[in-house]
Amino acid sequence: MTSQVIEGGAPSRGRAFLASFIKNILPAVPLLLIVGFFFLFPIARLIYVSFLSNENTFTIDNFKTAVQEPYRTGFLNSIKIGVFSAAIAAFPGAVAAYFIETRGSSKLRRTIAVMSGVLANTGGVPLAFMFYAALGIQGYLTKFLKYLGWDLYAGTFSLGSFIGLLIVYLYFQLPLMVIVFSPAIVSLRREWSEAARNLGASQFSYWIRIGIPLLFPSFIASFLLLFASGFSAYATANALTVGNLPLTPLQIGGLLDGNVSAAQLNLGKALGVVMIVISACAVIPYLAIQRRSAKWQKG
Amino acid sequence: MAKGIKVRFQPPLAITLLILGFFVFVPMISAFEYSIRTPLTGGYGWTHYIWAVREDDFFHYILRSMWLAGVTVLITLFVLVPTLTWLHLSRSKVRGLIDGLSLLPLVIPVVAFAVGAQISFPEFVQNTVLELPFLYFVLALPYAYRSLDIGLNSIPLKTITEAARSAGANWWRTITAVIVPVIRGSVMATIALTFALSLGEYTLTVLLHWDTFPTWVTFVAQDNILGAIAISMMSLIIPFLILTVITLFVPERSMQGRK
Repeated sequence: MTSQVIEGGAPSRGRAFLASFIKNILPAVPLLLIVGFFFLFPIARLIYVSFLSNENTFTIDNFKTAVQEPYRTGFLNSIKIGVFSAAIAAFPGAVAAYFIETRGSSKLRRTIAVMSGVLANTGGVPLAFMFYAALGIQGYLTKFLKYLGWDLYAGTFSLGSFIGLLIVYLYFQLPLMVIVFSPAIVSLRREWSEAARNLGASQFSYWIRIGIPLLFPSFIASFLLLFASGFSAYATANALTVGNLPLTPLQIGGLLDGNVSAAQLNLGKALGVVMIVISACAVIPYLAIQRRSAKWQKG
Repeated sequence: MAKGIKVRFQPPLAITLLILGFFVFVPMISAFEYSIRTPLTGGYGWTHYIWAVREDDFFHYILRSMWLAGVTVLITLFVLVPTLTWLHLSRSKVRGLIDGLSLLPLVIPVVAFAVGAQISFPEFVQNTVLELPFLYFVLALPYAYRSLDIGLNSIPLKTITEAARSAGANWWRTITAVIVPVIRGSVMATIALTFALSLGEYTLTVLLHWDTFPTWVTFVAQDNILGAIAISMMSLIIPFLILTVITLFVPERSMQGRK
């Protein structure tokens, strides 16, 4: 079959349906089956089960518990660490992406792309080790700072605290920002800055009137994606904290492993559903902005 | 891009790289220094690396992670390349639906996905480690899909396919011998990111109670910290090397090389 769209009259409705099915849907069936079974089905079931009581009757009690202590603090902390880690990483990451994309050689850009890809995926125990070695009580940076007269551990600081975790999260948030923001920079055409200059614009007014307005939507979109990444990170938090910092992903993990027991068997599912809702609030606008800006970036 | 402009020293770029490099390499080098300490002699050596490599579990888990990642890559290519080619050629109404579906995994936090996976699959799926490549496929889907989509968008797909078909190639040959080589840049990028994601996946794997290389590191950390640090360093370097090799294989913008 070639790609022409055949729009002829079909002999009968049944045959027509079959033909249209083969033409319009059949080749997508393997993908739909895999995504359906391995993704949509588990998510649908998660949502369904989150509304079941221990006796398998319909209830919203799981959600009532999910928004009470200690889960309430868990959500607040997770949202806080998502917002702060995204806010701190977004601007430096965007500036770094700008200089790398506009000033870097092709070799440099490719090396940075590979490194960011690896670094944005670091997490868990390896990342925890790196920061213990640098900022732990015996860490090199800690000793160096102490030598300079700043004792990190004089107060309540530890890598498992909120501030500690925030610093560690930046290690994968910054490269992630470079990855997601770079395409927007690439799409800023050199001609625009030249055109603006020819028309008499200063570097400053180029940025205020053209550069920043063009990049702003992508910047917000990237921020939202970073929020979702920090909000739902599990491995690193699991490696660094020892139950001292309530975070929703850890609470869900604890319930799932049976380390923590709750009166409601399906509480973990309700927490998962609330997480999905919060994450969707960030990722869906991100996708919408991406889609809009993809239009002019291509054109 | 900036062809013709000779790369000269760029202070803002240099400062950016210096700051980023400091943040990236100080923790990495500190951990590396720990990993080559030999507490018994007080000097440095590769003791912990040798110890790690000699552990039976080392090869067991690294091979397992590698083949799971390999299977994920195969599933990704076998499913996505034909499906996307077809979506681009036909004007199927499901295109919008599938575009949307492919992005959906970004919305779902992995922890929530793990809970759903744990309560959904029948025994025969939960009992085989082969469930993991399919779940990794889902996690990598938004990136893999987009990468291949961009590749297919940048070529005159219809013309190429019609030429191959009228020269007598069947669909299988058209895809493997014509389309894939033409978009090899995107294909390589897809392989690289799918492979790296599968190799390093921790959250889903550990919550579904499977053991792979990343979860083994956690286990080792309980009784040999320095050995575990050595393994962690390797777990950073191995994907880095694999990705570098894969991306270096493909000359930049190879897909636009045909003008």
